[in-house]
Amino acid sequence: MEEIRKEIAAIEKSAKRLKELAADMPGIKTNADIILTFVFLLKFVTPVAESKRA
Amino acid sequence: MKYWNPYTETLPPEQLDAIEFAYFKEYLAYAKTHSGMYREKLKDINVADIKTLEDVRKIPFTYKDDLRVQQEREPQNFPYGALLGVDIAEVSAFRQTSGTTGKPVYVPESYESWQWRVESWCHILWMAGFRPRHRVFLPVGYNVYVAFWECHYACEKVGCEVVPGGALDTIGRVNKIIEVKANAMGCTPTYGLNIAEEAMKMGIDPKTMGIERMICAGEPLPEATRKRLEELYGAKVYDHIGGTEICGWAAMCEEQKGLHIIEPFFLIEILDRETLSKEVAEGEIGVVVITPLGRHSFPMIRFNTNDMVVKGKGGCACGRTSRKIMEVVGRADDLRKIRGVLFSPKTVEQFIREEFPEVVEFEILVERKGIMDELTLRTELQPSVGKDKAEEIKARLKERAKVKTNLTMKVTLEPEGALPRYTLKAKRFKDLRGVK
Repeated sequence: MEEIRKEIAAIEKSAKRLKELAADMPGIKTNADIILTFVFLLKFVTPVAESKRA
Repeated sequence: MKYWNPYTETLPPEQLDAIEFAYFKEYLAYAKTHSGMYREKLKDINVADIKTLEDVRKIPFTYKDDLRVQQEREPQNFPYGALLGVDIAEVSAFRQTSGTTGKPVYVPESYESWQWRVESWCHILWMAGFRPRHRVFLPVGYNVYVAFWECHYACEKVGCEVVPGGALDTIGRVNKIIEVKANAMGCTPTYGLNIAEEAMKMGIDPKTMGIERMICAGEPLPEATRKRLEELYGAKVYDHIGGTEICGWAAMCEEQKGLHIIEPFFLIEILDRETLSKEVAEGEIGVVVITPLGRHSFPMIRFNTNDMVVKGKGGCACGRTSRKIMEVVGRADDLRKIRGVLFSPKTVEQFIREEFPEVVEFEILVERKGIMDELTLRTELQPSVGKDKAEEIKARLKERAKVKTNLTMKVTLEPEGALPRYTLKAKRFKDLRGVK
């Protein structure tokens, strides 16, 4: 799972950079935003599990 | 692949607890800062003071009536008012509740929140065995109601092929299923029965239509109705439970024994009915209180659903570790006191579907005659049932209704087509007391 989380972090970094580069290009910027939506979901479904009960 | 997400679906329950609690705290902080309703409602709650799952009980419930009031506030966010949790420019879809219990609640979906919802629904479909080889027919116009939009998007996401079946009548839908060779379907239980009834009138045995799998939505699905659908179509039929405000939150796996809570998407509390302050024990009935942990466009903290369920035991032969509910008993709103007896319409549906396959549709009316409440069970039988047999069924219905509900009901036999057929949520119980 750690490798997967690293890859998600890399995608996030890349999508944020893409957004910056395409600030004036709605088509590309929107697609970068959509990637970030799925980054949020990927993080949500790969939580770090702690062994202690809260 | 057996699981949609093998990682979260097999985590030990104590780890799921910890994850959900951590998500809850983040979500609580978000709601307090982004939702007008929670800015006010939670002004005396300090997130840092919520240190354990038990502390969550200090936070007030959110009721459906709160939502109706709050959507009238903050007119700049019309029509969502103080319920909105994102900038209104981020809202990408409008949905609303059915209005069964009062004024509808308008629900804003941002792209992100919608995708979160869809992901939760992917679990529902995957557990029900929906796979990329399935061509799924959705025999409804989805309108502004959420369940079939969720089903549609989630079907696409898990790789199924979706055939939207709105803007057709029931005969047209039977024909379409056969024409495109649909092999799966998503519908309300009532409409699944209606399609089968219509097919039979057309001289088609529903078993020959090719439907091998069905997911039911929009209404409670008593076990007897689920089995009846399985018999009619020769298909595997699965249940789930959800709501417009809080998403689909539990679903049946291939074992078909209770419903798995979709973890860690929700913090689910099943609380005692009397005080709503203690988690009930396994096997007991409780009221479901839900916090969906990733919905930012429509923050919802401790939503009291009024749904009553039997809390299940941990563990399942399917290998999933998520908590289960064994049965959806019904909505607290649906329970009525009639002649001093607590009455649940679900009890009637259960025995009719179990014992009376000849009954194609029914309706229960309660009226006040003088000082007495009078119950009428209106029924419509299969057209092939002869007059003598119909009278015998009528007498048996009256007897079984008395045994099952402790109430005497007048039973009527209605002509073919007299009772309404429902595509979406059926309204078979009508309390006309106080209606002039």
